[in-house]
Amino acid sequence: MSKQSIYTVSRLNKEARRILESQIGSLWLKGEISNLALAPSGHTYFTIKDAASEIAAVQFKGGSKLSSLRLDNGKQILAYGRLTIYEPRGRYQFIAALIQPAGLGALQLAFQQLKERLNKEGLFDKGHKKPLPHYPQRIGIVTSPSGAAIRDILSVFSRRWPTIQVYIFPALVQGEAAAHELVSSIALAERFSHDKTPLDLLIISRGGGSLEDLAAFNDEQLARAIFTCSIPIMSAIGHEIDFTIADFVADLRAPTPSVAAELAVPDHTEVASTLTTVVDTLGKRITSLIEQKERRLQTELKEYIFRLPSRQVETLGQQLDTLLSKLLRLAKESWKKQKQRQEGLTALLRLSDPRLPLRRGYSLTFLSGSAAPLRDSACLTQGQQIETRLLKGKILSQVEEVTDT
Amino acid sequence: MKINEVLTKLEGITKQLEKDDLPLEEALLLFEQGIALATKIKTDLDQAKLQINKVIESTEGVFVLEKFDLS
Repeated sequence: MSKQSIYTVSRLNKEARRILESQIGSLWLKGEISNLALAPSGHTYFTIKDAASEIAAVQFKGGSKLSSLRLDNGKQILAYGRLTIYEPRGRYQFIAALIQPAGLGALQLAFQQLKERLNKEGLFDKGHKKPLPHYPQRIGIVTSPSGAAIRDILSVFSRRWPTIQVYIFPALVQGEAAAHELVSSIALAERFSHDKTPLDLLIISRGGGSLEDLAAFNDEQLARAIFTCSIPIMSAIGHEIDFTIADFVADLRAPTPSVAAELAVPDHTEVASTLTTVVDTLGKRITSLIEQKERRLQTELKEYIFRLPSRQVETLGQQLDTLLSKLLRLAKESWKKQKQRQEGLTALLRLSDPRLPLRRGYSLTFLSGSAAPLRDSACLTQGQQIETRLLKGKILSQVEEVTDT
Repeated sequence: MKINEVLTKLEGITKQLEKDDLPLEEALLLFEQGIALATKIKTDLDQAKLQINKVIESTEGVFVLEKFDLS
């Protein structure tokens, strides 16, 4: 900077910015958030302060992809960014690229230490993992009843395998009290399974969230509760990339709540096709059994015949031939006779058909209600109802006069 | 009978039918049982509806079941 020349404000701000950016540049800054304001543009403006000083800060829209932390006034943060000057206002400010909770470093250290300790103790050993049931009938879920996880799980259950009973054991899944609630809900599920309704599987779940949100699942007491639980436990905590202590202890870790549900129950359409195969197998088996019995019978019959003395077989054969031809002849004759008899009968029946005279114009007369045709007029008296049957149709009449000629 | 019990029974029947010295009458009986079970499972699956309960414990240590509805 030249002390001799006269600066414009623009030039001063520009040069000051250059110096700040090149001399200080990017850095980690620790402090507390205040004056938090979300601009309509999507940028977030706030102040970072400590006990004695403060600095204006901004997080540009889209620049927060790296951190899922929700900003709040009073929150202690550790931010990575660069120092600059906003020239139009001469404003000295910090542009944050990444914001983490201030305690994260310590949290992660504690996580690593606990993980190593429990691992040495054998809590993650494969030998301790309980096998999961093939067709679970009653499934317990330890989660928040209002969270996204329970919705995901239940919707997969009703699509894939709706024959089960689901028992929800409510627990807070984030915040100070969460770890304790999760532990007592697992205990409740165990008591319920032991005293009331046996559970085949327990799922411990919550939806995605920041590392802070998942902290409850890194609790040592929870890890021990999962380890000692008598019911097989599946964990489904956060997203695929999140690993918690609970995941390492659980009998099976599912990457997400939906996948947990898919791993827990079979798909009913798959089972239906298995059923078809089983029925097929049963059918083939029974057919082959029948064929096997048939073959055995044939073999036994042959053996029986071969055991007879050979001459006897010859005689038997001849006798059989004679018998057969005789039978055939008899059958033919009998059939002929039968046929002739039948033809005769048919002709006879045709002749005795009462409709034959009717065809020629004769008719039959009955006393109404009687089945026998009238042959003598003496059977009738005046006023009686008679019925005359023609080839086609009937006539009903009343007798007016009876004569005997 | 629960669906998993039925499935286990069906598996048992299939195994039994694989024995060579099985009398035909017995095999036929098993076959009929197997078909009936398979039909039952299919019907059960088609008609099933998810049962959901929320379990809480009262201060006296009694389990309280509440119907849980997704909507």
